[in-house]
Amino acid sequence: MAPRPYAGAVVRHRIATKHALAALLAAALLVPAACTRKEADTPETPAQGEGTETVTVWFHTGRPAERDALQAQVADFNGRQDRYRVVLTLIPEGGYNAQVRAAALARDLPDLLDLDGPLLASYAWSGLLVPLDDLLPEATRADLIPSIVAQGTWPPGPGGRLYGAGTFDSGLGLFADRAALAAAEVRVPDATATAWTAEEFRAALAALAARDPDGQVLDLKRNYKGEWFTYAFSPLLASAGADLIDRKTLTAHGTLDSAAAVGAMTQVQSWIRSGYVDPNLDDAAFVRGRVALSWVGHWEYGRYHDTLGDRLAVLPLPDMGTGSRTGQGSWQWAVTAKAKSPEGAAAFLAYLLEPEQVLAMANANGAPPGTRAATARSPLYGPAGPLRLFAEQLGAASVPRPRTAAYPAITDAFQRAFADIASGADVKEALTRAAAAIDRDVADNHGYPVTVAP
Amino acid sequence: MTGNSAETAETRAGLLMAAPAVAGLLAFVLVPFGLAFGLALTDLRLGSPLPTRFVGVDPFVRVLTDPVFLRALLNNAVFAAVVVPVQTGLALLVALALDRPLYAMPVLRTLFFLPVVLPFVVVAVVWELIFAPGPAGPANALLGLVTLGGWAPVDWLHDTRYALGAMAVLSVWQGVGLQMVILLAGLQAIPRTLYEAARIDGAGPFSTFLHVTLPGLRNVLVFVVTVTTILAFRLFDQVRILTQGGPEDATTTALYEAVAAAFDRQQVAVGSAMTVVWFVLVLAVTAVVRRMARGRA
Repeated sequence: MAPRPYAGAVVRHRIATKHALAALLAAALLVPAACTRKEADTPETPAQGEGTETVTVWFHTGRPAERDALQAQVADFNGRQDRYRVVLTLIPEGGYNAQVRAAALARDLPDLLDLDGPLLASYAWSGLLVPLDDLLPEATRADLIPSIVAQGTWPPGPGGRLYGAGTFDSGLGLFADRAALAAAEVRVPDATATAWTAEEFRAALAALAARDPDGQVLDLKRNYKGEWFTYAFSPLLASAGADLIDRKTLTAHGTLDSAAAVGAMTQVQSWIRSGYVDPNLDDAAFVRGRVALSWVGHWEYGRYHDTLGDRLAVLPLPDMGTGSRTGQGSWQWAVTAKAKSPEGAAAFLAYLLEPEQVLAMANANGAPPGTRAATARSPLYGPAGPLRLFAEQLGAASVPRPRTAAYPAITDAFQRAFADIASGADVKEALTRAAAAIDRDVADNHGYPVTVAP
Repeated sequence: MTGNSAETAETRAGLLMAAPAVAGLLAFVLVPFGLAFGLALTDLRLGSPLPTRFVGVDPFVRVLTDPVFLRALLNNAVFAAVVVPVQTGLALLVALALDRPLYAMPVLRTLFFLPVVLPFVVVAVVWELIFAPGPAGPANALLGLVTLGGWAPVDWLHDTRYALGAMAVLSVWQGVGLQMVILLAGLQAIPRTLYEAARIDGAGPFSTFLHVTLPGLRNVLVFVVTVTTILAFRLFDQVRILTQGGPEDATTTALYEAVAAAFDRQQVAVGSAMTVVWFVLVLAVTAVVRRMARGRA
């Protein structure tokens, strides 16, 4: 039984294989590292002096490019200093969360491991992690982009501690065919502040549909499964002034089933009902030119850019009332409570957060870099990069998914509600039911009291 | 006296030979069932630092009053009521058609059996495309052709009216080969002499089928119906891959709800209670099916 993929999983699976630009850069950056890798990778590396501490690290086997980048980094880290020796274990992503949970039961966790963003709160609540505030150098923490800090902090708000730090984040928006928008005489909003309003977006869909043979002009990646729907569509709730839950009281009733939330989801339903949305069973609606707009994350940039070239535009999601909002969050690193060498784990993490290393990973997987220094130098996300909109939105217009141990129940309820709404169910009823399911889970867990001293 | 001790020895040998199977049943069926029942009386949650407490029958009350789980049970019942007779009948028809010594018959039989050995993920991907919405979707296109354009295309897997039916169609397609093979073996075990005697008595094909084939297949049919019923209640893969229980719970099943509760929402106690209820129901339905089959004899 594979656990449902969280954002990171979506990110990994969907990133286009032919990400020419990033791949080229990654290759250029990795060639020197790859040369040293062979020796450093062999287990027979001679013991590096008396004081060498072993640091165990677990990583989900993501896309080959990500895995190769990390293996090169481990070899490089082990080669450049002899205090710590990192031993990397790759665990298949399909059962990653279950394996980590099982290892936690057996008290067999490594020093450092990576976790999918929205699960962090649940791990921290379980007491499996230690805060990074005193472990990571101040300069390293200060360099993290705001969205990474927000995603890694638990409990949210004052008094929260940094439990996780990702070397990359994710970006979500609308990819568009400029030529189609121009032909339909639709305005091209390329900054968060100038995002289409809900009415403008509907009008744009209608204008595009009028010139489209089958009237289907929008791809919502309805072919994706699981976490995608919470990641991609809960920002609309925030944009409308609602949310998945009230983040202070942890209650969904009055928030997820509020008039604002019902309004936002009714809009989504109307796009589908009007026949504007391509079911995208072949995951090729945009690259085959069947639709002019694709609602998706940074991972499709490579494939889309290969197809459209300069015609590709990256736009913010529509503004449902209180400004355009977008998603955030991906895999992040955390030090475990049972770590034998927390300092070693932190030293390796600090190394991974150095600008060159962040760039090496971000260029390998095409994701937005997790630090300011790396973002400034990123060819994709830097000041002149084609995806700079995503970098600007992170922290400013992005909404972290609720950082509470109730998240598994929250996302399960929202995914069901979204599927029902998409297939024509009564919006108010679907959201009310989801809110009730969430509130019951929170009540069952006595409000998820914080039992670990943060 | 000697007879008695020989009997004792035989009993002992029998018990000894049954021991591995009994141990397996204990370890893999009874113990997990006992554990599930035990867990269903607590408030256990995956990864919770709060102490697990004994809460009595509360999870059972909750599960049995949960409209989604009750809908899941209803879906299971409807699905079984449709799939069991259709799949068994179809398997019997195919088995009868294939039970003749024709050239290349092994190839034909293999073809009918093929869907059974296909991994379900492959089956799901293929049928997701067949059930594609719009007039271009193969299922819609075929119905359009048959009805000379009178068929209004539907979104099979996202329409509350058609989703469970679509599940049933693809499940029958995927599963019918297994029943067919078992029935085929049963057909070939019927002594040829009975057919010869029937012919001498002047019986036609229909009356031969009614008075020779069906009685000869009785035990095999009882087995097939029982197994198909259990398989129908076990419906899970299709749901997990294709619809995730939607739309509006139209295709959710008891097992899907149990897995979603225990692993997606980490509510182990509620999931356990669901599996216990499901197990008891399947046991009861199986007992009824067997009794009905026996009574007819």
